[in-house]
Amino acid sequence: MTDRPRLVLIGLLIALYAGVPMILGGNLYLMSNIVAALTIGGIALAWALLGNLGGMVSFGHAAFFGVGAYVSALCVMKLGIPVFAALLFGGIGAAFASILIAPALRLRGPYFALSVLAYAHIFRIIATEWKGLTNGSGGLSSIPRFPELFGVDFGSKVGSYLIVLTLVLLFAGIYHLVRRSDYGLALRAMHDSEAATRVVGVNSLVLKALMLLLSAFMAGVMGAFNAHYINFLEPDYAFSGLWTTLPIVAAIFGGYRTIVGPIVGAVVVYLVDQLIFKSLIASGHQIILGALLIAMILWSPGGLLPRMAGFFKRRRHAEA
Amino acid sequence: MTDLILQALYSGILTGSSYALIALGLALVFGTMRIINLAHGEMVLVAAYMAYTLENAYQVNPLMAIPLAVIVACMLSVIVNFLVNRIHHDRELNSLILTFGLGIMLTNASQMIWKADIRSTKSAWLQDAISFGSLYSMKGELLFFAVSLVLVGGVAWWLRASWYGRAVRAVSSNREAAKLMGINPQRTELVSFLVAGLLAGFAGVALYCNSVIQPSLGGALTVKAFIITVLAGMGSIVGVLIGALLIGIAEALTTTLASSALQDLTGMLLFLLVLFVLPNGLFGTRRHD
Repeated sequence: MTDRPRLVLIGLLIALYAGVPMILGGNLYLMSNIVAALTIGGIALAWALLGNLGGMVSFGHAAFFGVGAYVSALCVMKLGIPVFAALLFGGIGAAFASILIAPALRLRGPYFALSVLAYAHIFRIIATEWKGLTNGSGGLSSIPRFPELFGVDFGSKVGSYLIVLTLVLLFAGIYHLVRRSDYGLALRAMHDSEAATRVVGVNSLVLKALMLLLSAFMAGVMGAFNAHYINFLEPDYAFSGLWTTLPIVAAIFGGYRTIVGPIVGAVVVYLVDQLIFKSLIASGHQIILGALLIAMILWSPGGLLPRMAGFFKRRRHAEA
Repeated sequence: MTDLILQALYSGILTGSSYALIALGLALVFGTMRIINLAHGEMVLVAAYMAYTLENAYQVNPLMAIPLAVIVACMLSVIVNFLVNRIHHDRELNSLILTFGLGIMLTNASQMIWKADIRSTKSAWLQDAISFGSLYSMKGELLFFAVSLVLVGGVAWWLRASWYGRAVRAVSSNREAAKLMGINPQRTELVSFLVAGLLAGFAGVALYCNSVIQPSLGGALTVKAFIITVLAGMGSIVGVLIGALLIGIAEALTTTLASSALQDLTGMLLFLLVLFVLPNGLFGTRRHD
């Protein structure tokens, strides 16, 4: 019995790493949508980690995404750091940016959420106004793409897909390890009663700050990846509210208390939005995302995937 | 130079008075219901588009649109109230996500209906200059400054003297005790939402008359209103008014002394400063968590 989940996992990995590129690799339009969906999935995972483990709702993940994108692009363009190493620097840059907001962790629920929202605006303004570094609203063009390594052209659509897939799976693994660790236990306890947890000697502020740091790092790496993938950055794009909205919709849709939920949610929501809604409603197609968010909160705040899983489990029990 | 700074102070106070209307609505709803309505700025914006629609369709002065703007904003308020009431667990955070979704819907609906172009009033009367000595403003700005003061004063009086106003304060300070005193908290919440809608309607028309509007503006308005309520500290109407004027002045001064692109930055930095140094706001009483 214990071998079965492992076999399923290996099969899934083969399908993701070999099957998807082989079957869909020729369809560049679809591939670029899948890459974008996984990018959103990575941010959604980071957002859900903060929400699930840290108990905090953030409306400012666009800030971390944008900072990661700019730091990575500038590291490569101004300092000549190799592209793959720069991804790491992008994440570290975003983590640093999150330290600046750490004082807001003292604030409860809605206050924190909105402080981060205000904070995201600040970064967009800085990126627009600091023209010497970022070239302002003119943006950065011809950001170096991913190089060819071991005979794989990572600059191509399929190559970029392999990178973003690896990053997302890596983050999912880290999330899993954190959740299983002592930190995860303390965080879960904190969710039940923060005061009681503090009494037994857990420094809840430090724990929350660590989760924020990790979440910002992940969002930053996704931003860095995206910068080298599309080779262009401008403040209104890098700090666009979409990098906050789409991950939230994805995480809530897939179930933000699970690890797989935000990723699958992102792929489903993004692909359906791009391939179906966008062709139906040219301007303002995100109205459907807003409606989806409201519907989820009202009828299934735990997410659709866990609900479906529960439904199938019940059926299996009923049959047995 | 002194003239310029005086002028900036004057313009800032005039702009800030409309911000007070937006922030006061947000604060009232937060007080009674403990939720922050993230679609509040979008509500104001939709009200502003009512003025645009009427002006363009019937060539009337946008001031004529105030009743319609108020009705539409109140209807949206009631919808938010209805939806939030249907959230059963973790209302504090789930309501944030729900109203965030509503904001997305309103922004995109505005974009579909009114297009993404920047709109402003064509009324020459509203945009006429009027001067006090060396201080200049548009007639519309001065008019809405007076309207805002009357409305803020009216709400302050209403909270102090009327039955429902006192019910709103009672529910804000202790919901359970208010219930025991025979106050229906749900109805009181609805009333606070309606007053917020009324203020948002006026604020929307003011925004359209004195400034420019476009669909993406809603989110920024919500943030601004939230910043003001944090500056003010919860539960202080005078605080809201002063906080709003402060933000208006800070923006106007930044535009005069540095550049208009930085005007939002000043407000945000002021906000972070207050948040970290004085978490209870400039005028707030101690918050109990």
